Amino acid sequence: MAATNWLETRVRIVGGSLLAGVAIGALGLLVGGVRYDSQTVTTQLFAVGALVFGFGLLGWSGSVLLGRSIETVHRHLDRESDWTEASSRRAMARVAGFGGGIMGAVTVVGLLFGP
Amino acid sequence: MASKWFVIKRLLLLIPVLIGISTVVFAILHLGGNDPAAVMAGQGASQEQIETIRSELGFDDPIWVQYTRFLSDVSQFDFGESYVLKPGQPVWGSILADKLPVTIELAIYGQLFGVMLGVPLGVLSAIKQNSLTDHITRIGALAGISVPIFWSGPLLIILFANILGVLPASSRIDTQYFIEGPWAFFGHELPLTGLMTIDTLLLGNIDAFVSAVEHLLLPAAVMGIYSMALISRMMRSSMLEVVRQDYIRTARAKGQGQKITMLKHGLKNAFIPVITVIGIQFGTMLGGAVLTETVFGISGLGVILVNAIQAGDYPVVQAAVLVFAMLFTLVNLTVDITYSYLDPRIQQ
Repeated sequence: MAATNWLETRVRIVGGSLLAGVAIGALGLLVGGVRYDSQTVTTQLFAVGALVFGFGLLGWSGSVLLGRSIETVHRHLDRESDWTEASSRRAMARVAGFGGGIMGAVTVVGLLFGP
Repeated sequence: MASKWFVIKRLLLLIPVLIGISTVVFAILHLGGNDPAAVMAGQGASQEQIETIRSELGFDDPIWVQYTRFLSDVSQFDFGESYVLKPGQPVWGSILADKLPVTIELAIYGQLFGVMLGVPLGVLSAIKQNSLTDHITRIGALAGISVPIFWSGPLLIILFANILGVLPASSRIDTQYFIEGPWAFFGHELPLTGLMTIDTLLLGNIDAFVSAVEHLLLPAAVMGIYSMALISRMMRSSMLEVVRQDYIRTARAKGQGQKITMLKHGLKNAFIPVITVIGIQFGTMLGGAVLTETVFGISGLGVILVNAIQAGDYPVVQAAVLVFAMLFTLVNLTVDITYSYLDPRIQQ
């Protein structure tokens, strides 16, 4: 039960942003396809998605690695804010999910209709 | 000592970090809009030649295919072949493997310079708080933090190489010495490390070792000045905080001498934030190596990175950035493990 809850929370966090990324990616392909050639649009859109995904992944691992230390430093310096390791980790997972969604949308559309 | 799980967890977290860095590097290079095939073909190349090169290198594949291929190659430490600097040559084997030890040696000696001067100066400054020594050290630290490498480098060259003539201004060793491996170890032939100061010792050439150290002094000092200043400031404030702790007062009340109390109890506890600075500084030094290598005419990873960016040699740029990132993450891993040794509570 606990494992299911654990998984469900994570799927909900990443899944929502992933779907948003897929939607934005598909929209970007549609809008960009009107003005530029498909090769340029897919390359640029995938690269933007990869940038967001990479940034999210780096932020997520940074939060896991240093988050608790930063919380401790905040407490130690008496500068407590609402920032927590858990919230940062969740936010970064969402960012990575969004980027992954864009990459996924570009890949799927490209595979179905050609790049 | 650090627990096994603590180290394993930290090592596992390196995987998403490295994937993240690789992805960002890949994305940035593709967002740049430059055509590597056109760069490789040269200015006079026809469109047909450019298309042929693009096809040969797989640039006409869909971008997701290029991305997965890039990640797969990088995971096997295969950074591809150079387009411009050494066309057709493997990036790792023929370019980076030779240059990496040069930069690492510079960064290590720069950091040594910073730590060996910064720590004692910081401790001295804290012990003699608000004295003349403290004021001089603090002014020195402020100056060290404020002086950029591209200014301090030429200044030191003018003073020590041109005016005083006591230290060489460029290169890694005198041209009369030719350092080439392998070296013999109990009848086995082993390759050299690429670190000039170590290799000269391994080959038993003391004169060459002295020359290598002389050539390293100025660049190491230039790289280490900023680090020394930051470490001494951090050490001072950390020491001042520690000396006010109850356990230091207890040790003093029990009759322990000031020197022993400071060195045995104060220094170890004050070291924890300083180690963070040392770790982060190592990363900054790798960045500073680009400038230092240029000023002192040393052909290391930094110079190669700048040349590769100017020439549009993307595989070399990708590989150099990734190697810098890997070094930085490994240094931070070492810092984490050192932390947990100094303060076992951190593991929890």
